[in-house]
Amino acid sequence: MSVRLADRDLPTDPRVIARAMRLRVAATPRPLRIWYGILLVLCLVGAVGAVLCLPPGWAVLGTRPSFEWGILISAYVFFAITTSGLCLASSLGTVFGIEMFIPLEKRHAILALLCLVTAFGVIALDLQFPVRMVFGAVLSPSPLSPMWWMGVFYGAYLVFLIVEVLSMFTGRWQIHRVACVLSSITAIVAPTTLGAVFGVLSSRPYWHGAFTPPAMVAAAMLSGTALLGIVFACVHRFRLAGFERVATLAIPAIRLLLTIILSVTVLVVGWQTAWGLYGDVPGLSDATAAILVGPLALPFWVFRVFLGLVAPLALLALPRTRTPGGLFAASCLAFAGLFADRAIFVSAGQIAPATAVAGVLPSPFATYVPSLVEISVVVGALAFLALVYTLAELHLPMGEHQGHLAGAFLGSGTPAKAAGTAAGTAAGEGDPTGAGRSVPLVDIGGGVL
Amino acid sequence: MSETGPTGPGEPRGPQASLSRRRVLQLGLAAVPAVCGARLAAGVFATSGDAVRAAEPAPAGATYDPSAHDWAFVMDTTTCIGCGRCVEACKLENHVPADPELNRTWVELHVLAENWTVTVSSPAGGADGAQAQATVPAVADAAVRNAYFVPRTCMQCENPPCTWVCPVSATYRTPDGIILVDEKRCIGCGYCVVACPYGARYMVPAGDTTPKGVAGVVDKCTFCYHRITRGLLPACAEVCPVNARIFGDRNDPTSAVSVAIDQKRVRAMKPALGTRPRVFYTGLEGEVD
Repeated sequence: MSVRLADRDLPTDPRVIARAMRLRVAATPRPLRIWYGILLVLCLVGAVGAVLCLPPGWAVLGTRPSFEWGILISAYVFFAITTSGLCLASSLGTVFGIEMFIPLEKRHAILALLCLVTAFGVIALDLQFPVRMVFGAVLSPSPLSPMWWMGVFYGAYLVFLIVEVLSMFTGRWQIHRVACVLSSITAIVAPTTLGAVFGVLSSRPYWHGAFTPPAMVAAAMLSGTALLGIVFACVHRFRLAGFERVATLAIPAIRLLLTIILSVTVLVVGWQTAWGLYGDVPGLSDATAAILVGPLALPFWVFRVFLGLVAPLALLALPRTRTPGGLFAASCLAFAGLFADRAIFVSAGQIAPATAVAGVLPSPFATYVPSLVEISVVVGALAFLALVYTLAELHLPMGEHQGHLAGAFLGSGTPAKAAGTAAGTAAGEGDPTGAGRSVPLVDIGGGVL
Repeated sequence: MSETGPTGPGEPRGPQASLSRRRVLQLGLAAVPAVCGARLAAGVFATSGDAVRAAEPAPAGATYDPSAHDWAFVMDTTTCIGCGRCVEACKLENHVPADPELNRTWVELHVLAENWTVTVSSPAGGADGAQAQATVPAVADAAVRNAYFVPRTCMQCENPPCTWVCPVSATYRTPDGIILVDEKRCIGCGYCVVACPYGARYMVPAGDTTPKGVAGVVDKCTFCYHRITRGLLPACAEVCPVNARIFGDRNDPTSAVSVAIDQKRVRAMKPALGTRPRVFYTGLEGEVD
């Protein structure tokens, strides 16, 4: 007794399934088993937290009226901008045809979809009535609300991403190309609406201003690129599908992009901080003081500035660390630093005493300590992302398809010509002489790859 | 039945019946997006956050005409004695949680020091009243220029940030100027809590409910809408022993609130934000906002 799915016979008998799974686990390399085990345990912890968060779950969160948005909102923002950043990074290849960014396509699309699903899962746990939100957004819309627009664009982005992934794996390149363009457009617009959720609030001077939405896009680029850096360094290290193209194209492309966006982020963080030091704007100057010398100083200076910006830039700049390993370390640090950055951002807008609260005016700063449930949900969300992506990486065909390169992105006049171009590009992979390469070999520090 | 075709039980179902059924299905399927689209369009233009709409459900009392009223408060900080009876009455009247951090109305003690710095304190929202020997630690040793109590509540803004940020139009403004929350629509996102410049909103915690028995949604002062629509005063104004909370209808030039606005120099909090509150203050120092 079996069912046929994707050209494979899958058993339905529980005993057969259990035996097959045992064999599969036994055949899995030990390090990978440990990796899966850790992620499964963390997912379980997250699942327990998620159950406790279900409505009415307010009592299990550490938030108060003086600090209404806690670490779950920070995590949502983080995952939501990461999914956009992934699409923005890959759109350089998929939409604009810049060849060195094309190998990012398949992995980015799966990562983006997973990040978006994770973001939706986290925000659903923070809301009291997530189902009501879905129906309410359609049946009683509020076009004046940036949060409504955020829902519209991230909802559309989810649809475009699903189409993009499905068309990618089924070879429907015309549909795929359209989906890529649409998802790239929404990937830019969606984080700006997310930034506007904070930026329009005149009651929160630290968030308020037209600067917030573009800063959110910059943060999106950084987190998305850093995640790609982590993934592609792993692909290179473990010799996964298409690692040759990853070495020659993806890793240099990500290094370039990460260096640029880290430099831009230094300017963004620097000016954002300097802005708060001018004058004595209630709320803004207090929040800046909290960041520089107050309760947010430790995460800001250690995680945001040193580990999140200075260290990755140094790793990318120093000749000795211009290696895939160096890129991995820089990407991990930048990724973690960006999470700290979003948590600081969400906190700083609420921490100032100017945010008067019914009955209690915290002095000098409002306080918030995330509960164990909130932390477990965030950890579980990260583990879920890593677990599902690992499964996808190992069980889906991740190598770039010829038609994928030809029909979808290069935009040549005819399919034959386009295929020829793609074939020329791909020919370099198995050609030890380098003949037929359209992109030269790249020295990434550890020798020519 | 024979006139409408072979549709009865036991009768043969010919092609006509099949076509008819398909047609019905098609119409049904077409109706779903049509209804949704129409509802969406209607919602965009009629129920968006800034729109004024009648209270849901409509207030009791068939004679009440919301458009005929323009409710407002004047808080007289020169007479408030910080007894906290208003806070207590509000908690009882409106089923406000016992948590001292959750209040629909509260009373702050503002102390203006010699160096013009303002210190604000409001232990338990002022519900226990200020003690005669009470001191504010931060200014215990400082020379005090002025000190007074400031009753606080939702400002019922005419340009309310809370209504236009709500993604599902759950919070709205009535024709008589009161900001209400539709508890059946509220999704509990907390955006309006964060958006309110006056800190006048809170999420109803687990174990507590709104006066209508709903948990997990946002709650706020409604000027005791269930009372004022019956011709009563809000509970806080009703119990104030020194008449520091002057409530009334601005459409009535002889009402106490109209007279107070006309005759006393009143000001609103945070006027620079452009929210245009319906709660005005007398005797408020310029340094306080």
